[in-house]
Amino acid sequence: MQRRVLVFSACLVLAAASPSSMHGEDGLVDHLIHAFMPAHRKSSAKASASHAGEIVWSGLVMAENTENPEPAPAELIEIEPTLKGLFGYNQFVVIGQSRKTLRTGQEDWLASSKHFALHVDAQGPSEGGYIVNLKLVQRDNTEPPAEQLILETATKLSKRSPLVIKGPQIGGGQLLLVLVVQ
Amino acid sequence: MKTFEEKWTAWVDDELTGDELVAFEASLPDKTTAQAEKKAAHQLRSLLQRELHAPTMANEEFFSHQLRERMARDEEAEVTRSGGDPSPWWTIGRLLWTGAASLALFLVCAVLVLRDKNPEEQSQYLTEILTAKVDPVGAPDATVSMFESKGDRVTVLWTEGLKSLPSDYAAK
Repeated sequence: MQRRVLVFSACLVLAAASPSSMHGEDGLVDHLIHAFMPAHRKSSAKASASHAGEIVWSGLVMAENTENPEPAPAELIEIEPTLKGLFGYNQFVVIGQSRKTLRTGQEDWLASSKHFALHVDAQGPSEGGYIVNLKLVQRDNTEPPAEQLILETATKLSKRSPLVIKGPQIGGGQLLLVLVVQ
Repeated sequence: MKTFEEKWTAWVDDELTGDELVAFEASLPDKTTAQAEKKAAHQLRSLLQRELHAPTMANEEFFSHQLRERMARDEEAEVTRSGGDPSPWWTIGRLLWTGAASLALFLVCAVLVLRDKNPEEQSQYLTEILTAKVDPVGAPDATVSMFESKGDRVTVLWTEGLKSLPSDYAAK
């Protein structure tokens, strides 16, 4: 009996002393135990719900090449090198934007310019972010004014991962849609 | 060379013969007293043989059986007192095998659980495009694709074939 207790204790010590648990993350035992427990899923949902109160910035951005480019807006500074590399433009100007503070994670809002409107409809928090439905609508100067749906997408938006959508070509530039959880 | 006591005992038992008997009797200081002692010893022997004899057992098989059972119980009690496990299962060899098997099972479970969990953890940090479609009427040839820029975790929905618009659509 003493030998059995000794073997069991040794296994527990080995598992509890795994490197991940030493760094303050969930240990091996936690992974093993929680992997089979519904409470683990509840804690994940709770973690997502704790994101409530975060701000989502939505922007309609015109990317162009100019001789004297204006500095990028604050919301785009972190991803400006990526935007330049991907699209090949040196100036990014915001033509429409919206900053929405999420309370329930199910709000909807609009970022619009003179000819475009970006409808954002949040469907609630998910693991690590929010599910949002996006619609880009084009407004034409006709009588009566007409709206045309250009693009529609459903996205799981993560706090640590901005979303960039390539829109239509406008003149010598490019329309970009950008969503950032701040 | 026999001692005097050995020769005396042999003489009392009438085991001395020949020259040895003659020499021993000649060495006795008082032969009459010795003969009396010899006679008394013979009488005592006869009395003992007549009066003392071992009792015969009426049921010797049953006695042997009881004796064997008693010995078996005593041996078992002795093993228990000395701390030995009456069950032979947890020998050192089996203990080692059981420990190794338990550790292997634990590691397999750990690998399976962690491998299953890592993709979920990674997906928490990346924006993921679930569905995407473009207006099939205004841009019938348009296509969409998606990719991630690993450096700053930017998720990109890339469209091709959308209708180009004049520059006044860039107005704020």
